[in-house]
Amino acid sequence: MTRHVLAVLLLASLACAACAPVRPWERDALARPDMAWDPDPLGSGLGRHIQFSKEGSIDAGPGGGGGCGCN
Amino acid sequence: MVRPGLGALAAAALLAVAFAAPLRALELGDQAPAFSAPGLAGGTVSLASYRGKVVYLDFWASWCGPCAKSLPALDQLRREFAPGDFQIVAVNLDRNPAVAARFLKQRPVGYPSAIDPKGSLPGAFGVEAMPTSFLIDRDGVVRYVHRGFRDSDVDPLRKQIQKLVAAR
Repeated sequence: MTRHVLAVLLLASLACAACAPVRPWERDALARPDMAWDPDPLGSGLGRHIQFSKEGSIDAGPGGGGGCGCN
Repeated sequence: MVRPGLGALAAAALLAVAFAAPLRALELGDQAPAFSAPGLAGGTVSLASYRGKVVYLDFWASWCGPCAKSLPALDQLRREFAPGDFQIVAVNLDRNPAVAARFLKQRPVGYPSAIDPKGSLPGAFGVEAMPTSFLIDRDGVVRYVHRGFRDSDVDPLRKQIQKLVAAR
């Protein structure tokens, strides 16, 4: 029993050790534009606008109205 | 029944977690750690060799947007002061120094950059943002820490440098 508890503790602490924070000077790859959540905000905004205009409904994206595509 | 090896491993793992904690940042009034590192353009960059001058120590990387913006502004600032009074020393933190060298070829500056691809110096100085800069007085004491860069930061920085240059 104790051995199992210890083994779980060991694994848990090893997992914690793996979660090293990314230091500010280590962000090079993360700072690349293609690593952004939304690499093309303008394009995806346009896409959302077309989507809610054509579907005649409003999705979770911003913007009001629906159907006519005039807003 | 517990195997002793397992307990020791658990203890080692816990220790590893404890020591992964962030390093203490350098504070105002602290002595700047003297360092010597290879220069981006060859040779060696040594902070100690600038003792007696006011030094602006700048940590930068080519992938960091505000850093790119700060380089020409800093170079301009450097030219406003006598070389015997004020110098800029940069530490480049790109993992591949060749990328930084290419970057500087396009945007040349007149001050030296040390390279630290392993990132050991920012830990010693307690860098918490990119870019971070330390204004060091003639006695090697940190007098001003600056994080980030905006165009509007130049004027306050110039005033700080003037103050330290005047303090003989």
